[in-house]
Amino acid sequence: MSEINYTKAFEELQEIVHEIESGEISVDTLSKKVKRAAELIKICKTKLTSTEEDVNKILKELSSADDPEAEV
Amino acid sequence: MPEIVDNKQVFTLYEVASSIRKTLADRYTSPFWIKTEINKLNIYAKSGHCFPELVDKKDGRIEAEMRATIWKKDFDRINENFKNLVKEPLKDGIKVLMKATISYDPKYGLSLFIQDIDPSFSLGELEKEKKETIEKLQKEGLFGKNKLLPIALLPKRIAIISVDTSKGYSDFIKVIDQNIFGYRFFHMLFPAVLQGEASIASITRQLKNIKKVKSHFDAVAIIRGGGGDVGLSSFNNYTLAKAICSFPLPVFTGIGHSTNLTVSEMVAFQSAITPTELADFFLQKFHNFAVPLQRAEEIVIDEANHLIENEKKLFQTTIHLFKTLTRNRLKTNHDEIRYLSSGLMQETKFRLNNERELLISTKRDILRCAKELMREEKNEIGRMMISFQKDSQRFFTNQLEQLKNLEKIVQLVDPMNVVKRGYTITNVNGKLVRSVNDLKEGDVLNTLTADGNIDSKILKINSTN
Repeated sequence: MSEINYTKAFEELQEIVHEIESGEISVDTLSKKVKRAAELIKICKTKLTSTEEDVNKILKELSSADDPEAEV
Repeated sequence: MPEIVDNKQVFTLYEVASSIRKTLADRYTSPFWIKTEINKLNIYAKSGHCFPELVDKKDGRIEAEMRATIWKKDFDRINENFKNLVKEPLKDGIKVLMKATISYDPKYGLSLFIQDIDPSFSLGELEKEKKETIEKLQKEGLFGKNKLLPIALLPKRIAIISVDTSKGYSDFIKVIDQNIFGYRFFHMLFPAVLQGEASIASITRQLKNIKKVKSHFDAVAIIRGGGGDVGLSSFNNYTLAKAICSFPLPVFTGIGHSTNLTVSEMVAFQSAITPTELADFFLQKFHNFAVPLQRAEEIVIDEANHLIENEKKLFQTTIHLFKTLTRNRLKTNHDEIRYLSSGLMQETKFRLNNERELLISTKRDILRCAKELMREEKNEIGRMMISFQKDSQRFFTNQLEQLKNLEKIVQLVDPMNVVKRGYTITNVNGKLVRSVNDLKEGDVLNTLTADGNIDSKILKINSTN
């Protein structure tokens, strides 16, 4: 999976939005926060519209991990 | 007809069998209701007749076993009834209440001829099994286990257990893959049988397989559709339900049917009425992620712009204020300078005038005083001149007197006058003789008298000391 877990990205994004909405951000930190928010939005949007799983990899794993399982 | 061989009554097998048949036929004349379990159904596809194996089990052990026959005509009718009421066709392993006659055939042996099977009994039995499954799972604490699993914020990767030719599957895939929002899912089909008895083992095995690669998935979806309400009883099976309960990923079901929920659907993380509804649920999850995302994007942009606008405005106001204040300050200073400078000029003029006046009057005074002084001095000089004249006259007179006196003295003293009185001046060798010591006998002396000089020689020197 990608370097940043999208759940964390989503949470961090909500946090930044909350900070911006509550008006507690000074103009100095605004630029940094906006940049970070844009990054996070990009990551999340990518998550929505792309997929990285590989069917072949899964099939390989399936066939290699063929051990008898005692319980279901 | 029996034969006699060696004094024994010997019957043929056929005779024995016929006798048994007659006895049974006489004893059991009418059909009766029997409660039992169909172990195997044994439908002969070619003829359409059915030859079920019936068993009575107690504590898992077979107590009684018998073969039965259902003729095609009856079988089709009974099956239809079953499908209507129980929503299941006849199958292996169901408990039934049947109406049958007993018959014995010399060739085929003892068998029951089933005329009818009461579907409501079987229904009741199935319901009982279903209840038992639920109770067992609840007692084992497994019933709600799958529902308690955490679901990923974005369930993107779905392992699908279905039949790839099923309409339910194709509906699901269509909604998921062709969604207009551009959401992308990853799904992989784990094919299985989803109807009838075989579905239990088939689905369970695929669940096992998915478990091996569970790190690649966020959820499992068991999808079935198009089979109507028939053949669902396997989803009430304990083994299958248990497998779903204890599965490590959330299990979703989209089994299209309109009757009561099966146990599998009850224990699943969430069950949808149709595969399409399940697909919509997943899309909704994406919306729940995408909509706040969109909103977050908008808020960030809006608020950022807003903040910057505010700062700009504030800055402009401050600049304006600064300009105004500065201008005012400068003007005030300017005015003050002008005021001071005009004051200074006036004051200076005034002072200069004063000084000039002073100078003029002083000059006048000086002039006047000088004139007066001059006048006084002139007078004084006049006075002094007079007195000087007087004094100098006096002085001159005085001096004259003195001079005259002096003249007299000088005259007296003048050697010529002295000489005239009878004195003489003696020189020796041009030098004046003052003392006899300067002379020796024989020197030639020159003696000056009033009317000439005498040269003489010294005869004798007489000293007086």
